[in-house]
Amino acid sequence: MTMAEVKEGQFYTIRRIGGETRFLSRVTSIGLTPGTNVEILQADGGLPVLIYARDTMLAVNRLEAMRIEVEASGDE
Amino acid sequence: MNNATIKTFALMGQPNTGKSTVFNALTGARQHIGNWPGKTVERKEGYFEVGGRKYRILDLPGTYSLFANSEEEMVTRDALAGEGIDVILAILDASQLERSMFLLSDFAGINQPVVVLLNMLDIAEEQGKNIDAERLSRALGVPVLPVIANRGEGLGTLRALLESGNLEGGLLNTSALEEKYRINPVLSELISLMPESGIGMYSAIWLAVKLLEGDRDAAGYVKDALGTKTWVQIERILEGQKEGILIFSDCKFQWIHELAEQSVSAAGGARAVRGRFDRLATSGRWGKFIALGIILGGLLLSIIVGFSLMGIIGAIRGAVTSSLRTWFEAVNAHGALTSLICDAILGGVFIALDMVCYVFAISLVFGYIEEVGYMARISYVFDGVMQRLRLHGKAIMPFLLCLGCTIGGVAGSRVIDSWKQRLLTIAISWVVPCIPVWAVVGVMGSIFFGFGVVWVVISLFAAAALHMFVTSIVFGRSFSSPEDRTGLIMELPPYHRPNKKTLLSFVWYRMKDVLLRATKLITLVSVVFWLLSYSSDGDIASTILYRAGTFIEPVTLFFGLNWELFTAFVVSTLGKEASLGVISALFSTAGGTVNLFELGMGNDSAIQLTAALMTRVSQPQALAFIFGVFFTVPCIAALGATAAETHSVRWTVRMALYYVCVAFVMMGIAYRVGLMIL
Repeated sequence: MTMAEVKEGQFYTIRRIGGETRFLSRVTSIGLTPGTNVEILQADGGLPVLIYARDTMLAVNRLEAMRIEVEASGDE
Repeated sequence: MNNATIKTFALMGQPNTGKSTVFNALTGARQHIGNWPGKTVERKEGYFEVGGRKYRILDLPGTYSLFANSEEEMVTRDALAGEGIDVILAILDASQLERSMFLLSDFAGINQPVVVLLNMLDIAEEQGKNIDAERLSRALGVPVLPVIANRGEGLGTLRALLESGNLEGGLLNTSALEEKYRINPVLSELISLMPESGIGMYSAIWLAVKLLEGDRDAAGYVKDALGTKTWVQIERILEGQKEGILIFSDCKFQWIHELAEQSVSAAGGARAVRGRFDRLATSGRWGKFIALGIILGGLLLSIIVGFSLMGIIGAIRGAVTSSLRTWFEAVNAHGALTSLICDAILGGVFIALDMVCYVFAISLVFGYIEEVGYMARISYVFDGVMQRLRLHGKAIMPFLLCLGCTIGGVAGSRVIDSWKQRLLTIAISWVVPCIPVWAVVGVMGSIFFGFGVVWVVISLFAAAALHMFVTSIVFGRSFSSPEDRTGLIMELPPYHRPNKKTLLSFVWYRMKDVLLRATKLITLVSVVFWLLSYSSDGDIASTILYRAGTFIEPVTLFFGLNWELFTAFVVSTLGKEASLGVISALFSTAGGTVNLFELGMGNDSAIQLTAALMTRVSQPQALAFIFGVFFTVPCIAALGATAAETHSVRWTVRMALYYVCVAFVMMGIAYRVGLMIL
């Protein structure tokens, strides 16, 4: 599933990130790489997805979130 | 090292690591802000002295990596690898150590001495993290100085080390990182094609990694240095190598993680991710309301503070001008000279002073909100809306501030980090009508249209929306390229208490800077207007403005303005409300003595619009005039503020010309449409 379909309050692990180099460099430099654990703080409709990863609160636009594949990790 | 040469530091750090706080704390008011030559990126340079020795410090743009994505990263990279830098001060955020170290890991391989400043230790402590700076220093091979920049702690150590001459930057120990890079099978092949010592300041492995990551700028650099023959070989190796950026980013984070494991002990303290206020501030339902409330509240506070200060300036102005006038009269100076100095030059200087009072209030209030960390939330809730105008979500704030006074919006745009985005924001925000504009619309609209003024206002709004959209395209072409799209992935830093001293000294410095930059432009425009409107005998007919106005009346009539309205339109540049004074004077006294310039400079004059106005101006003409004043350039004080804030007179003039042209188009359309329907 992609980061655009995640549930609030759940924990996920990033599996794959797709897109052109420019996008990949932006995402990875801010701390999101395959294997990164993320907590979903907010995923409600209109606004970008709000996540917590590597001790940082990040907002990811829907469009970009769709290019990030995640997998439920369940544990805290 | 020669004592006479100034040692130069470069500050490198990700956004929100407290880089500006360190910069401001070290330099105080000794800053110089401009642009990088030929670049649309702001360049901040400052000086400080320790033990009688002067040091230069360069504040590099805050970037997350050194990958050549945007001009900011390019500028940072070129500066880091350039000549003339003695030590790089790399700032890390201890509370988000691993993530903030990414820039340092991306830097590793550029052969420049580094000193690490480990910032935000207080927040890390609150999170229950204990960082062993010494261990980190040993592992990295460079000095690591713990600091809490917003309390000014730790910077004393830096100064003491400088004073004793014991601050030696070290070269980063990159062997563990390089080992990880070698997971890539073709890396060594690439390195073998490059000089062993690297090219310039870049090590061979750094360049090889950047090539595999797909960095086009690095590719160009290597190609230029090694020649086409070697480059063909390199290209062959690079063929089929994909996702290098993911692989190497992973290597960097692994390296970072290992370093962190050695030097950070987490006690697993309380982790406050999102407090109750932040839940509301970022919620889809309440976020926008809270943002609007905070901005408007801030605006109100700024107005109260700013206008109180302006009152003081106004009193001083009155006293200075009148005593100067008396003195001039006493020495029998020529009337024109008295008027030039008292009205034009002093008038200009006092407009600039007034403006600066407001800039001070806005900078203080919104600088505080910015320092707290709230602005990122405004961005978060408004990004979707603002992106349609190619703008950053934060741009909503300057727009709203422009509703009070354009100067506020211009000063408020400072919270937008990118110079290009800031310029685009200002260019569009000039459309937003300030309070005096509404005075013109209200007075003229109700005289000519009665309750129909509602329709005038509605059409003004519609035209304004269209204007903003078109302007975003016109200026967006120069200032917003797809790669600069911000907000696609954005950090929301935790809230923290700003340092009042740093904030105040910063605001004070900016105020001085704005005053110096703006006064020249404002005074110049003011003198030009004075020349245009000076009349030796007090008869309007002897002013240049009158002669020019009546001369080109056939042209201005095409846009619906007779010479009186045209004069009022031109004078509105001194202050929108000034146009009402001009109209009142021109139509009520009809050729009597009047000092246009004094009217323009905002001296109170009761608006007594007589029947003469109604008989000599038709409804379509009035409509054209309202549109003209609404859409023309903001007043000279706002122009001065813009020139100061963008530090580009060139762009300010371009924007001004564009706005005047648009105003004429708007007047023409309003007039023609008015003729048809009224």
